[in-house]
Amino acid sequence: MDSILRAAGMYVALMLLFRVAGRRSLADLTTFDFVLLLIIGEATQQALLGDDFSFTNAMLVIATLIVLDVGLSLAKLNSKPLARLLDGHATLVVEHGRFLHHRMRRVRLTEDDILESARDSQGLEKVEQIKFAIVERNGKISIIPDE
Amino acid sequence: MQQRVWRFERVGWYVLVVIVLLGLAGVFGNGPLSNAQVTSADGRLHVEYQRLSRSGTTDSLRITVRGSAREPIMVLLDGSLLREASIETLQPQPQASLSQGKAILLQLGTSEDGIATLYLTVRSESVGTLEGIVRAGPSSAVHFTTFLFP
Repeated sequence: MDSILRAAGMYVALMLLFRVAGRRSLADLTTFDFVLLLIIGEATQQALLGDDFSFTNAMLVIATLIVLDVGLSLAKLNSKPLARLLDGHATLVVEHGRFLHHRMRRVRLTEDDILESARDSQGLEKVEQIKFAIVERNGKISIIPDE
Repeated sequence: MQQRVWRFERVGWYVLVVIVLLGLAGVFGNGPLSNAQVTSADGRLHVEYQRLSRSGTTDSLRITVRGSAREPIMVLLDGSLLREASIETLQPQPQASLSQGKAILLQLGTSEDGIATLYLTVRSESVGTLEGIVRAGPSSAVHFTTFLFP
């Protein structure tokens, strides 16, 4: 019983923490971010399993995490407000060749980040060539070029 | 084919939900369903134990014996549980602890109302059913079994 409660508690706590940390896509991870994630994983593992290394306990913890994850995605299908709360929504950061600086500050992106994405995905060099740049819910920057 | 995969996912999720609910109830140890107690026929000996547990975890065991006031009682711990599992803590310390064959014989002091309580934590690495036997004198004996998941 305790391991299930621990796993559920950890799931909720991590979800809150990562909501605070904000959106960053896996592809944008710096080496330091990656190491940080590894350390977070280590710390979490200690709290999840405690000193119980039995097979049953590991399976219970995994089952709890999957049940919560799938359950939440099912709940999101049925409730739009919940989906908004858990995933946030896409944010527009460039509109018709103009940076929206206020929004960029909020999502912690610099002009360079957006231009980097524009070069990378569309081969654009100037902000004027961008029609829209959108920060997706998973932290990726989508660029729509101006025709 | 796709339909079958979807159905498998859905059914699998419900199975996991059931497993988690069973786990919350204590089917895999540490819950309302796994807490058990047994009292000897003459009511002098009372043992609280875990009916279901997991291999490699510590379980608590509480033994209460009623005797005559201020007179030491001898309690015998026997059975595969107390042989296979290692006793990690034993509180309070018995006045004397002897071996009797493969069993352990403990001498406990009693309080003014003649009750002695012994708190044990045991940890076992084995899997399967283990049996515990606790005796206090010739007339009071208690048998209990614990099933350990891998």
